[in-house]
Amino acid sequence: MATAGTSGDPAPTGLTKDGGGPGGGSAPLAVELRGITKRFPGVVANSDIELRVRRGEVHAIVGENGAGKSTLMKTLYGMHRPDEGQILLDGREVHFRSPADAIAAGIGMVHQHFMLADNFTVLENVVLGSEPTRGVRLDRAEARRRIREISDAYALGLDPDVLVEDLGVGDRQRVEIAKVLYRGATTLILDEPTAVLVPQEVDELFGNLAELKREGLTVIFISHKLDEVRRVADSITVIRRGTTVGTADPKTTTAHQLAEMMVGSELPSPEIRTSTVRETPVLQLREVTVASPTGRPPVDDVTLTVREGEVVGIAGVEGNGQAELVDAVMGLRVLASGTVLLGGDDITAWSTRARREAGLGFIPEDRHRQGMLLEAPLWENRILGHQTRPPAVKGAFIDRRGARADTERIMRDYDVRAPGPDTLAVALSGGNQQKLIVGREMSAAPRLLLAAHPTRGVDVGAQGAIWRLLEEARAEGMGILLISADLDELIGLSDTLQVMLRGRLVATLDPSAVTPEELGGYMTGARTTAGAA
Amino acid sequence: MNLLRRIGLAMFAPVLAVVVALVISSAVMAALQVNPVQVFAVMFDFGDTPSQQVTALVVILNRAVPLFLAGLAVAIAFRMGLFNIGVEGQYRLATILAAAVGAAVALPGPLHVLLIVVVAMLVAAIWAGIVGVLKVTRGVSEVISSIMMNVIALGIASYLLTGPLRGSPEGALIVSTAEIPESGWMPSLNGVFGLLGLANPPRQLFGFLVVAVVVGVAIAVLLNRTRFGFDLRAAGLSPSAASASGVDSSAMVVKTMLLSGAVAGLIGMPDLLGSTHAYSTDFTTGLGFLGIAVALLGRNKPVGIALAALLFAFLDRSLVPLQIQDFPASVVTIFQGTIVLAVVVANEIARRVARRSAERGSAAPAAVAGDGGTGPGQAASGAGSPGGAGDGGEGTGAGVSRTTGGGQRTDERQETGS
Repeated sequence: MATAGTSGDPAPTGLTKDGGGPGGGSAPLAVELRGITKRFPGVVANSDIELRVRRGEVHAIVGENGAGKSTLMKTLYGMHRPDEGQILLDGREVHFRSPADAIAAGIGMVHQHFMLADNFTVLENVVLGSEPTRGVRLDRAEARRRIREISDAYALGLDPDVLVEDLGVGDRQRVEIAKVLYRGATTLILDEPTAVLVPQEVDELFGNLAELKREGLTVIFISHKLDEVRRVADSITVIRRGTTVGTADPKTTTAHQLAEMMVGSELPSPEIRTSTVRETPVLQLREVTVASPTGRPPVDDVTLTVREGEVVGIAGVEGNGQAELVDAVMGLRVLASGTVLLGGDDITAWSTRARREAGLGFIPEDRHRQGMLLEAPLWENRILGHQTRPPAVKGAFIDRRGARADTERIMRDYDVRAPGPDTLAVALSGGNQQKLIVGREMSAAPRLLLAAHPTRGVDVGAQGAIWRLLEEARAEGMGILLISADLDELIGLSDTLQVMLRGRLVATLDPSAVTPEELGGYMTGARTTAGAA
Repeated sequence: MNLLRRIGLAMFAPVLAVVVALVISSAVMAALQVNPVQVFAVMFDFGDTPSQQVTALVVILNRAVPLFLAGLAVAIAFRMGLFNIGVEGQYRLATILAAAVGAAVALPGPLHVLLIVVVAMLVAAIWAGIVGVLKVTRGVSEVISSIMMNVIALGIASYLLTGPLRGSPEGALIVSTAEIPESGWMPSLNGVFGLLGLANPPRQLFGFLVVAVVVGVAIAVLLNRTRFGFDLRAAGLSPSAASASGVDSSAMVVKTMLLSGAVAGLIGMPDLLGSTHAYSTDFTTGLGFLGIAVALLGRNKPVGIALAALLFAFLDRSLVPLQIQDFPASVVTIFQGTIVLAVVVANEIARRVARRSAERGSAAPAAVAGDGGTGPGQAASGAGSPGGAGDGGEGTGAGVSRTTGGGQRTDERQETGS
């Protein structure tokens, strides 16, 4: 896995900045986007995007989280209309009013989160919505025949009569692909298809993509994992802050060059210079195991310690138990075994509220789901999670004035850009929502801050600000448990790195001595602890 | 200006709904060869003499008090995203038991009344609490279980009334519990009319009006100004965010159902303490289902619920005059039904408008804020409730007592609705 080039390659030979990508000017392109601009309230999600995808190639679109990749693909898939620009398929301009139009034009989308009915068979899932019928009845024989045909043609290896709930993640993804192919798609959009896969499954997926390509289909592959992109793609378009910054040839471009294009030169550096780690532990997990009703435990025998002034980073491919670990620390999930200590207290049996009162701060991974009340004003969001503590609460009553005043303070101190504390949270951009959450959690001066993907989906400016805040808090003696998928963030912020793989902590690394490539190796299990710090 | 705008936004949906309902029901009346203008004239005709007019007012207020309490009971659960369809059964069971206890004891006045009220609240709270406990421990949808509990409650109430708690003589046309002694009656508020210089009507204005106002204010304060209310509303807006913030969602479900039930227990009290003094086969039914409509129309906020209750009470009052004038009484039911349907649609439109304008960043602050129950789920329940509301309206309005009919009919609607 960790084969990415180092920074030694001086000439960006494969890079062509802005405009004519490889193959421009020849036969009609399978997909061409010209000057696509999409504005959402308060933000420009895409501006002046140029994309040229040749027929029969795997074209990767890379960019950071929040760079606008998904918005762009939703535009191409007809989920919303661009405010400006043209979409051309095979040289002809098209206007999609809905995904149905896009499907009719031969575009199919495989979403990052599978949209399958678990208690249906593969066959039923594939034909759902475009069932072959004989009279009024579902023509199962015809459906089975066509699914077998598709499965054989592209080596998907699907059995039409298996229940989807019995399938693994990789198989489910192939069902999604079959679904799209069944509808006659000639261009497939895969949105972060590897995010949920383990390395072997990734290899299988790439094998399937090669089959698709061989049959003359076009694949648009969205990712931010540069090594994978370089392995599978024939050409690459890089998106940064909602616009295309250039195209690259994966054969001649190093991962480092791609990374530079992705983040730009003004990449804020999250580096912590001096160690502020003290002796006193604030959080100790001892042999923590979280059981799952099916299969292996999502968190398996995890033991770790966070000291005062220490940032412990948890690295890992998403879905390896990080979310469950967060829930276990927050008291949102019952432990099968093990103990959790906050300071000197055994908080294993404590409620979430008691844990928060005892000094546990929480920046959730999905702020809309766990961090905010979107349809409530900011000052009510200030109270959320701090319902039992001043300044927003007096005894059993809500202190509206205090909450508003403190919300204004947070907005000032943490640069939350909003009209006022009475604004609804939904009106704020992701970055401002996140800054409000960070400000809120910091305001309670927690002993331990549990930060799950604290800069996910925020713009670069807010990212830098959040990193600075975490560094300051750490310097003041706060312990931070940082879970992130951003390797630079992990390496830059952490004092100690733990690698989580299939629910276990498999390696403890020194962030000052590890490269992102090595870390990536541990995360996928390609490397083991032998010889590591 | 800003305040004006906020009020305008808050009023937009209900007013729109009432207007739409007016138009639709006028069309229906026209189709039935009934002149809608004449019908509305009858509705607004409160009589000629001051005494008649004040009487009409008393009738409306007396009807509005239980409707308000019913709406409040439903709204408390709605604000947490729970659908307490079981208010009907909760108040009927509570009322008969409270009536029985009230008749069995003799206490000095205020204590006697207090005992009856407390018994009613306890019974209804326990009955609603069962629904909450089932949801938390067994994952039973509160919609299903509260409907089932309705049927059980109505069955028990019938059994108690005709069996152990019967106080009326054998063979009487109307079966009732024993009458509560006078110390357990609540004095009327008719003295107020004298103070205001109005004619003293022959009808008694329920003294329970005062209690209802106090309860309304208390619930408003509880929901909007207390930690408990914040937790409840947060759980309604986003269960996942609430539990991450430390709200114990299981305990919250049970507490909310207990509170909703306790308020539901008060629904029968105005009539019991103010006029009937016993629970009988012709005791007012269907208030629980009407409460769902009232809560929807009032957007789950106490002031809105009070206005909605007054509107429904106004419509109900016009039933008798309409029948005297030979108009079909069902026009009122049609009107109530269309209001509910329209309000569900209008609420959803208003919610989207407010949310969109908020997302655009324009200043439309807090138009939907804290209005817990207006999510998609509510629309779903709304789809089921018009039938129930219509049933209730018909049953109560025409003064027909169908002890179980209303409940069963609603069951079917609910199942198809959800």
